[in-house]
Amino acid sequence: MHWVSAIIGVGLALTILLLVRRDRLHGPYALWWLLVAAAALVLGLFPQLVDWLARLTGVYYPPALPIIIGLALVLVRLLKLDIDRSHQERNLRRLTQQMALLEDELTRLREGEPRGD
Amino acid sequence: MNSLTACRPGARRLVVIPAFNEADTVGGVVRAARMAAHADVLVINDGSTDATAQEARDAGARVLSPPVQLGAWGATQTGLRYAVRHGYRQVVSMDGDGQHDAANLPMLFAALDGVTADVVIGACEARLSPARRLAWGWFRLLSGLPVRDLTSGLRAYGPHAIEVLASARASLLEYQDLGVLMLAADHGLTLREVPATMSPRQSGVSRIFSSWPTVARYMVATSVLCLARMGKSRGRRTP
Repeated sequence: MHWVSAIIGVGLALTILLLVRRDRLHGPYALWWLLVAAAALVLGLFPQLVDWLARLTGVYYPPALPIIIGLALVLVRLLKLDIDRSHQERNLRRLTQQMALLEDELTRLREGEPRGD
Repeated sequence: MNSLTACRPGARRLVVIPAFNEADTVGGVVRAARMAAHADVLVINDGSTDATAQEARDAGARVLSPPVQLGAWGATQTGLRYAVRHGYRQVVSMDGDGQHDAANLPMLFAALDGVTADVVIGACEARLSPARRLAWGWFRLLSGLPVRDLTSGLRAYGPHAIEVLASARASLLEYQDLGVLMLAADHGLTLREVPATMSPRQSGVSRIFSSWPTVARYMVATSVLCLARMGKSRGRRTP
């Protein structure tokens, strides 16, 4: 079953690289996903690393280790995502308000123009 | 009467009316507000699909129409930012559905002048049902704010309050009530409550107290907000 994990890891890494190359992922997100791709590649090619890491950290059931680490990283990522979304929401509201204000100012300027112009 | 004469930049007082599909009532509210107070009237037409903007304009209000719907507080904040931009020193917000009596306006503006309060809340305690009283008691306990009518949309803001509440910090608040008051209190602004009269033709349905899921969502969201802000500076109580 060695080659299954290798194929999945290499496939995931290539997909992410392709997406980054095609500018589908923006700056900081690209870095994160490149790291994920690298991890998938390394773990796919050398699954025995998991056993070694489990021995090192004293985990008795090695397959649980990548699952736990993966879940923890996903949680962190989700949290960061919501923080970013809140930030964007704030910017969107500020921009919307600003736009309404500027639109009003534009109307005001037009109204101020002498008639017949 | 065109809309240019209706709004004079540089005047001190502004009445802000956030309105969402309130074409039936907004014209009357604008007219009443202009009659009652020596103030400019600004209507924030928050994504209405009816003739709200036209009705308000015909009644002599200046109208802003944000391209994306902002909600009651986002719309009110647009009015506060308008006040900052055009140098208004005092703002009173009131609902566009006619539930707030424009006769309260002179009293609210005068309250800003007379006492050292930055935010004056026009409280309509008569409208509080027992369930609401219970909810407000809970939030008063959580927030430590010395305010009885926490959701009243009838409020007067002084220059300091306008500055604080127009800032980006206040832009992520969902509701116009507790979060706004807590932010004001955090910045050392003084809150004061005065009794206000309700208009007899009270057609408005509360946005918050319309259905049980909405109420539940509101209760949870506001409780979380209160708990998250616990331990921050509290509003100073004024007699």
